[in-house]
Amino acid sequence: MTELLVQQLVNWITLGCIYALLAIGFSLIFGVLNVIHFSHGDVATTAPFISLALAQALATAVGASSPAWLVISVPAAMFAVGLIGVLLDKLVIRRFRDAPAMMALVATVALGIVIRELIRHLYPQGSNPHAFPRLVSGMAFEVSGVAISWFALLVVVLTVALVVMLFVFLRLTPLGLRIRAASEDRIVARMMGIRDARVFRATFFIASAIGATAGLLFASYAGVTRFDFGVMAGLLGFSAAVIGGLGSMPGAILGGLIIAGIEVLAQTFVPDGASYRLVFVFLLVIAVLIFRPAGLLGRTVMEKV
Amino acid sequence: MQGSASLAAPGKAAAAVFAIASQLCGAAFLYLILKVDGGWQVVGLLALLGFGFYLLERLPWIGDYALASFARAPLVAMATAAVIVVAFPFVVGSNTYMLHLLIVAQLYAVLALALNFQLGSANIPNFATGASYGIGAYVSALLAINFGISFWLTLPVAALAATLFGFIIGIPSMRTRDTYLALVTIAFGVVVQQLLNNFSWTGGPNGLVGIPAPSLFGHSFADPLVIFGWKLPSQANFYYLAAALVVVAIVTAHRLHGSRIGLAWNALRADEIAAKAQGINVAWFKVLAFAVDAFLAAFAGTIYAFYVSYISPDNFTFLVSVTIMTMVIVGGMDNIFGVIVGAFMLTILPEKLRAFADYRLLFFGVVIIGFLMIRPQGLFPQRMRRYGGDL
Repeated sequence: MTELLVQQLVNWITLGCIYALLAIGFSLIFGVLNVIHFSHGDVATTAPFISLALAQALATAVGASSPAWLVISVPAAMFAVGLIGVLLDKLVIRRFRDAPAMMALVATVALGIVIRELIRHLYPQGSNPHAFPRLVSGMAFEVSGVAISWFALLVVVLTVALVVMLFVFLRLTPLGLRIRAASEDRIVARMMGIRDARVFRATFFIASAIGATAGLLFASYAGVTRFDFGVMAGLLGFSAAVIGGLGSMPGAILGGLIIAGIEVLAQTFVPDGASYRLVFVFLLVIAVLIFRPAGLLGRTVMEKV
Repeated sequence: MQGSASLAAPGKAAAAVFAIASQLCGAAFLYLILKVDGGWQVVGLLALLGFGFYLLERLPWIGDYALASFARAPLVAMATAAVIVVAFPFVVGSNTYMLHLLIVAQLYAVLALALNFQLGSANIPNFATGASYGIGAYVSALLAINFGISFWLTLPVAALAATLFGFIIGIPSMRTRDTYLALVTIAFGVVVQQLLNNFSWTGGPNGLVGIPAPSLFGHSFADPLVIFGWKLPSQANFYYLAAALVVVAIVTAHRLHGSRIGLAWNALRADEIAAKAQGINVAWFKVLAFAVDAFLAAFAGTIYAFYVSYISPDNFTFLVSVTIMTMVIVGGMDNIFGVIVGAFMLTILPEKLRAFADYRLLFFGVVIIGFLMIRPQGLFPQRMRRYGGDL
């Protein structure tokens, strides 16, 4: 029993970290632009494909395939996806920041379709699932009879590192200060001489690169990646961000952990829970929003008349 | 009121001629776009359509004139519309693919009109229309398959079941709003779709097969329709049924728009707090919008289930709800005519883009994004309410 418990605990933490990374992107972008970037999940899903393609290219260039190529390609993919995020913002999303919320939602859903189709067409045999290896293999140590893999450790360490870096960046650097100012009030921030174009660029780069990490880790966790993984990744990441409270970083992390928790719980303790896991996840989402309409850590905005 | 239309106040005869001619043009265009098959022809027709909207935008008096003439000769306009709708299958003849597209487009028009009560009139996001549609389809299909209940009886039962669902989704809407409410409806939609996908009694991912065709006065809808010696394919039965439903939906939408309920929804859209201060029961009207949406969507679902005689959870996914939402936004929120045009365009366009084969969805996504950027107010933006004015 303890073995099962520890094993599920590890699963929960791993998945929770991945969802939290996705949710952070949603929350960050919403905080600054007030736009739900629904294609964020699809942007994140481009990362494993880019990384696979890069590894392939490296292998053919050098003439020998090696697992190291993939590891090298990972940071490059993160950087590339960050740039993709900036490009999408410039081309599409920025134009909807002052439009009604539903307009932006529909536009970014359509953008998600475009990204998915592009993956499918540009990647060789993009319609098929592609195997994605574990970034690190082997077992690190044992806890009460359960071996903890290096991979789980990597996910946790990477997530904590990214969160700490993001926190330091937002709190202690001038650009971070500007991002926080713009998310507080964009117009006042402009009046204080903050160029919002730069802020948007930075926000999208960071959010997309963090999302790319989540996409890579998820592909590595699942062992496979497919062009349409982005739909569910987007829905789950968005849900995590919303139940945590949009615009709140701790909320996004909490939301990710909760969503992963209910998923793992359903799979472990409910008969046939694996196929019903989404039902449980979204029932929880509904319940949370009924009792805390602005999310768990979200600020309730009083409406002024 | 008179002043705005003085330039273009048409005489009775001119109005009647205009009403007939414009509708015939519309029908001819619809026929052509259904008929053509090559990629360039489709692009050409789309360019023509774009030019038409450009003219409408540049010369606003055309729109005013059209509106004025339809208002001046309503009987002529309605009679023309009725004749066109009834005669269309005869023109199309034995081309079942065209009829199929028309049926699906009509059902989507009903769904879009249903969603329009919320998104258009009251500005409440709802991503669960697909779920209400699915509930309608599944309830009626299950009743027909397991208990042999006739189509005409399952119609109201399915509508009631979906309305109940609408009330249930409506309840959280009293507390949440905007993005949060959008997520609640998304969550409801996913839950329903996943349950349909997993329950064994709904057939799981395989769905339900062998839904019997409805019959009316001994005439089975699976048989070809014979009118005055003309033999129409069996799809024509469903075409007329769907057309009747569209008429019901239009009348409902029109009546609701003119009633105090429609006024209350518009007040909600303009300013919720001001509406509350006016003594409008905000919570009730929000829930009501969800219920009306679900009610109409269930009708469309029932007809769909009996028409294709096979349904699976894949027909009612989140993306279906988004498509319906796109139809409302593209057509023009809170504009009955615009919403119907939006539904027809977005149903027919992806089919016609088959010429682009595998790039169809990509093209579709690009068109939607481009459209939202270029014309965010929709093809036919909502018109100002005329509070008791004539015309």
